[in-house]
Amino acid sequence: MGAGAQAGAPDFGGPVPLPHHDAGVAMTDSGPVSSSAAPARETTAGGDPGDERPAAVARGRWPYWPALGVAVLGLAITGVLVILAASTYTSNENRLLKLRVSDAGALIAEALPSVQTPLASAAALADATGGSVQKFESFIGPYVGPAGRSFDTVSLWHLGPSGPQLMATVGTPPVLAASPQRAAAFFARAAMNAQLGITLLQGPRPRLGYAFTSPGLTGHYVAYGESALPANRRSTLASQSPFTDLHYALYLGRAQNNSQLLVTDLKDLPIRGQHASTTIRFGDSAFTFVVSAKHPLEGTFAQRLPWAIGIVGVLISLGAAFLTARLLARRNQAERLAGSLERIADENRRLYAEQRTIAQTLQHALLPAGLPKIQGIATSARYEAGVEGVDIGGDWYDLIGLDNRRLLLVVGDVSGRGLRAAATMAELRFAIHAYAAQEDPPAVILSKLSRLVNVTTSGHIATILCAMVDVERRRVTVTSAGHLPPLMISDGTGTFIHSEVGVPIGVRSGVRYTSTAVDAPPAATLLAFTDGLVERRGESIDAGLERLERAAVGEDGDLEELLDRLISDLRGDGGDDDTAIAGLRWLN
Amino acid sequence: MAELGANHDQAMTFDVAEGGDHTVTVRLAGELDITNIDALASGVAPALERGPQRMVVDVSGLRFADSSAIALWVRWAGVVPEIELRDVPPLLRRVVESMGLAETLNVTP
Repeated sequence: MGAGAQAGAPDFGGPVPLPHHDAGVAMTDSGPVSSSAAPARETTAGGDPGDERPAAVARGRWPYWPALGVAVLGLAITGVLVILAASTYTSNENRLLKLRVSDAGALIAEALPSVQTPLASAAALADATGGSVQKFESFIGPYVGPAGRSFDTVSLWHLGPSGPQLMATVGTPPVLAASPQRAAAFFARAAMNAQLGITLLQGPRPRLGYAFTSPGLTGHYVAYGESALPANRRSTLASQSPFTDLHYALYLGRAQNNSQLLVTDLKDLPIRGQHASTTIRFGDSAFTFVVSAKHPLEGTFAQRLPWAIGIVGVLISLGAAFLTARLLARRNQAERLAGSLERIADENRRLYAEQRTIAQTLQHALLPAGLPKIQGIATSARYEAGVEGVDIGGDWYDLIGLDNRRLLLVVGDVSGRGLRAAATMAELRFAIHAYAAQEDPPAVILSKLSRLVNVTTSGHIATILCAMVDVERRRVTVTSAGHLPPLMISDGTGTFIHSEVGVPIGVRSGVRYTSTAVDAPPAATLLAFTDGLVERRGESIDAGLERLERAAVGEDGDLEELLDRLISDLRGDGGDDDTAIAGLRWLN
Repeated sequence: MAELGANHDQAMTFDVAEGGDHTVTVRLAGELDITNIDALASGVAPALERGPQRMVVDVSGLRFADSSAIALWVRWAGVVPEIELRDVPPLLRRVVESMGLAETLNVTP
């Protein structure tokens, strides 16, 4: 693309591919080629991923999974903490309850001798006195009474071969006496065990019966006591008791058997929920004492702690999840914003590239599609857009073949940039073609152009160099409307053709221009150019012209190489102004 | 004073003064080019609408002027009966002369 081409003498055998300057435009027979076409396509293609990115953000997975994760994690941690707190509470309650029940058991155990000792003593006394009723009654009397005494009744029995015989009674008649068979079985059991026997007497007035059999030699005496139980087995503990904070149930035996219930403070038995029990051995039987706490023994704070942990944990979890969701929403919003900003930036880049491409395409469309072929000379031209320029520039060149021996070399520069400058340039360029076709000489052409453009209405002025080249006669007639002079190079020396410089086109109408004619030496090269080639800020244009002259006479090479070298050497890494350059060379 | 331009190096300042003798004096400094020419044109336009007889463009502080700047001065020259480009630095003077505009813009040293 953009290959340099030779538009010149047939002697050269047609177009010859030559090195070219990438950013520039080289003329070919098929017309101007934009070197920016490929980058423009790349830029357009580069914009596509930008269009997909925001869509990916919008259509992506549900964005609140992390918030849900935070909630689940928080609730799981809360659950574990609640379980730990609850189990700690429960185990502490159990430990405290066990301590309390063992304390209570110890108290009960301490009370047992007050039952056993009087009966054992009474039995031993009876044995020693041969069953003296009087001594029995006087001994046991203090232990029997309605309130505060150990027994409601105590009686002395003799175990003979015909069964137990009631010998004496202190207090109310014993309930057991009503059923001799049962008494016989009970006393036999007590005698065999040789220790305190205990039995529960059911009935409307339940009683607990105790029997102690003397292991004496003269026969078996039994001291038998009864103490009443509450009729409904229910009794609350005294308010000053250290166990008022407990529910309790006391059973005879080693099991919580309702038929063996002695006393409780509850209506519904057995005790359910958290409870503790202890068994106190007593005589030939035992008591089972079961307690549960009326209130949390550790206090209500310990009881409520798991709930508090649960509530606070749930609140914190939900709060954290909510916060996470909000942060996610903000981040998504920021991403969307960034995506759209990026899209706008991409769009701007694309538009910029497009605009630049449009400007360059238009510029190139306004440049000649081909250069005239005239025997005896080579012709070539270059156009370089200023770097970073978006607007179309106003520089142009033209080589117009008048007949088979003459051509018009034109280089012009419309002030300013943009479409209006380009329109002025096009108007001037086409007008020059029209006047050239009428065989007008350069001075007349420029004078006619001065009537076409007015700076007051168009805002533009244009400098134009118009040179009529008679190839055969080697004569160059130069006319300048405010334009830089052309350079004639021959035999290693360069000469600027200074003609009288008239005002630029657009300053005023009907200007009379003066032409200057010079003869071209053999193999001379004529270069016309716009100020972009020589002008530098902060430097005299004379310095720029000298630099051009030195560069142009420096090396051998054909016209194409010369123009390429001038563009690359003088513009360096690119000037900010447009540059047009057109040249021709006599081949002999 | 108005300061324009993308960076300090390329900043352009201008100052418009209207005298009692129907003279508009425009003082320019910095670098004047296509990027800031519109600001200058619109900044001076109100003074020109009042139909001054004379215009003095003091360019002593101008380091650079491109073709669009010169086109603007030429435009002013077409509107005001008498114009003077005053205190023209040598480099700018050479540019104006090379364009054949020394007379049109009435360049004075």
